Amino acid sequence: MTTPRLILLACAALIGLGLGDELAGVLGAGRPWVFAALCVVVLVAAGELWLRALAGEAMPPVLRIGLATAAGLVSLPFVAIVLHVAGVGIRARSIGAGLALVVTVLGAIVLLRERAGRPPGDPRLPGAIAAVTIPALLAVLTGFLTLSAYDRMPRPPEPGYTSLALNGWAGDIDGPLSIPARGVVVPLRVSRAGLPAAAEPLRVRVGARLVSGRALAVEPGVTRAFFVHVPAPPDSCLHRIEISLGVTSTVFYGRGPAGRGSAGC
Amino acid sequence: MTLTRLVPDDRLELAVTVPSPAPARERTGWCAATLVVTGAAGAALLVAATNAAEWDTGHQFGLFWLGMLVFTLPAVAWLVRRRTGARLRVAILTAYACFTYLPKLLRTPDGPLFHDEFAHWRQASDILLDGRLFEQNPIVKVVGDFPGLHSTVASVSALTGISIWHAALFVLVVAHLLVVLGVAVLAEEIWRDGRTAAVAAIIYSLNSSFLFFDTQFGYESVAIALLVWTLVALHRAMRGPAGRVRLGWSAVTLMLCAATIATHHLTALGLIGMMLILCAVASVRALRRRTPRAVTWTAWALTGAAAALVVAWLSVVAPRTAGYLDPYLARALDQIAGMAGDSGEGGRTLFRESVAPWWEQLAAFGAQGVTAIAMLAAALRLRSRPEGDAVSRSGALAMLVLGSLYFPAALLILTPSGAEGARRSWAFSYLGIALVVAPVVVAILERKAKFALLAVCAVVMVGNTAAGMNPSYRFPGPPVFGSDTRSSTPEVQAASDWLRSTQGRDLRIVADRYSGLIFGSYGGQRPVTGSHSFPTYDLYLAQPGRAVSPRLIEQLSSWNFGYLVVDRRMAREVPEIQIYFETNEPVPHSDKPAFTLGQLTKFDATPWTIKIYDSGNIAIYRFDFDSLDQPVRR
Repeated sequence: MTTPRLILLACAALIGLGLGDELAGVLGAGRPWVFAALCVVVLVAAGELWLRALAGEAMPPVLRIGLATAAGLVSLPFVAIVLHVAGVGIRARSIGAGLALVVTVLGAIVLLRERAGRPPGDPRLPGAIAAVTIPALLAVLTGFLTLSAYDRMPRPPEPGYTSLALNGWAGDIDGPLSIPARGVVVPLRVSRAGLPAAAEPLRVRVGARLVSGRALAVEPGVTRAFFVHVPAPPDSCLHRIEISLGVTSTVFYGRGPAGRGSAGC
Repeated sequence: MTLTRLVPDDRLELAVTVPSPAPARERTGWCAATLVVTGAAGAALLVAATNAAEWDTGHQFGLFWLGMLVFTLPAVAWLVRRRTGARLRVAILTAYACFTYLPKLLRTPDGPLFHDEFAHWRQASDILLDGRLFEQNPIVKVVGDFPGLHSTVASVSALTGISIWHAALFVLVVAHLLVVLGVAVLAEEIWRDGRTAAVAAIIYSLNSSFLFFDTQFGYESVAIALLVWTLVALHRAMRGPAGRVRLGWSAVTLMLCAATIATHHLTALGLIGMMLILCAVASVRALRRRTPRAVTWTAWALTGAAAALVVAWLSVVAPRTAGYLDPYLARALDQIAGMAGDSGEGGRTLFRESVAPWWEQLAAFGAQGVTAIAMLAAALRLRSRPEGDAVSRSGALAMLVLGSLYFPAALLILTPSGAEGARRSWAFSYLGIALVVAPVVVAILERKAKFALLAVCAVVMVGNTAAGMNPSYRFPGPPVFGSDTRSSTPEVQAASDWLRSTQGRDLRIVADRYSGLIFGSYGGQRPVTGSHSFPTYDLYLAQPGRAVSPRLIEQLSSWNFGYLVVDRRMAREVPEIQIYFETNEPVPHSDKPAFTLGQLTKFDATPWTIKIYDSGNIAIYRFDFDSLDQPVRR
């Protein structure tokens, strides 16, 4: 392929990648495949331009295919590093612009170089490209079918669990809580996966004292919030407050209303 | 002026004999039919093996190797036929490379699983989120200093809109293919024979890292492909006619070399080592007037420039690398000294408690014997048949030296700290083995010993893979505590999701190795698992009722560590890989768990740890250092 055509091909593929969101609606579910193919075109074209700009001589087809792919691939980290050094964030548009710059600069160098003469094209190259792409495409298809078959196979159940967490404002408790005389309503969150539905004992302890207990129904695959009333500790000393559900629990610390028995702490 | 013997252009391809078109087409059809059928059968058997492993039936090893060999052996048989044409060889090598990625694809179809994969996934994810490179990685601290892989993956993901994992698979499959084709092209540069080149690629694919380790989402997977192609370009630069062409190939060499350095530290150092070996061999031969001086000068100039790039990168961009790598080597040498001493301490027993079947273990030892015999034969052949031009001869001798380094590395595999390094070094030294043993194999093939060679090939592939990767990395299965790949359960994932969704990302947390992988990757947090200077494992080791070191508390407090993750399985089970936090942890290792339940549940009764989440095995505490010395009324 002549250099101007190669540059045009790379630019067209870059424009296609740049139109990502606009093309997404048209392409639908095929978008990832189309965009991956465009990405391959850009990278291989950039790699080929690297080779023409630097080596600039005829070479065996497999050597050319391999080096062009490798050089194309490394264009991405080079562009990313240059963007980083320039203080530009690494985003789709900046990478696309960087690649466009690489293609333009390399293309200009190659065109200047080719004014003195262009190495003859290798007639074996199309055959070698087919020898790489056909098995590679077949392999992609095989891989896709293999993974689909694997996905459909029955799997052993994964180990289940029940989790209990402080929720809402209680999730932000970062020190001893001052609890008024009327007590406090603590929001919690329970989640269960891989275990059958059950009624788990829900208990509240202030210090060593069990202050409430009831059963809470917990269903598999469901995450829900609930509230627990925690009475005020008997004095303003620091008390351990535990809310447990089955074998899981949350623990925080609190003090009763000021003035209650603080002397004995 | 050409410094070395000119080679006709039609020999510079992966073929020596070009058969007549009509029969070649016929054979191409047969070959394609055979490989499509065996490829489909192999893929089905690999799926069956993976499924058998998930159900823990014990049949996975047999099914796996049946699946691998049912495709690879016919592929190799077609490749090494004398009459196979150039294009067909390239097509078979491509199919072989793609098929040999399938085991890893089936092992990790959806996301990261191996230890380093979590680090790279996190790094690529951070680039997409923040748009910045060189951020410190919380799982492998130096990963961020080598952005080659994860910047490529993040760029592909950003450009195409595919997920990070799919972008990674795309890059890794391309890199895997580049390794196979690259070894063949490098062998072609040295031996000028397509059949030998194809055999070299197959021999390289037998190395212990090829199927699983160098296919992972880790920097070496891409860096090794770059290393191989750098050596190809270097050979071209050495051979090329003086002037603009040589300068051009030198520029290609340096460009790929720079990309290797920006991708992986060890591969960059390995590349410099290989280039130095090549320079040394070429210099010795130049002194004996067997290699033109310009060839030697080119090699030295490019090696010097590459070394300068490596030194500059390691000292300016990645100064932490030496501190990261140094302890591994130092500890390995200590352990070798310990093994050699009277006590005999410091060693490790190969396949200890391994669930690998006896025949895999036997093949692992057999493979080393086969490799040693093959290298001896290769050395004798090189001595008795000095063939090729100056560059080829220097390349072949340099590869002999490189391949010989495979055996000293076997010493390191006997030490816990050196084993990891030894396995990584084999991916380099096996390149030397592949390149010098290939002509020996071709010579044997001439004596109609194809089936015997295929059998040996199967034994070496089985043995090396078994030696290089433990079964829990190779196969899925029931959850196993203390395995990088199988200790991640839905429970741990749920805990990390909860912390991220309720408390945010980039939180500094204290964790064990296995929780740290999940919280540091999917969870987006910054876990610390302990080190000599920041011994966070002392929190877990402290006995109930005993105070934690004030210095550690001061470190945690001043560095804004906010959360503690406790995995109670540490009190019930022994980690499969005998590590709770990090390789040099001061934790007793025996057949019993190193922790009591009391050591892990003590945080339920300390006022400076608020338990905000609990799911049975996993508990998350928020630090409240202000309440450290507060008395609690019972």
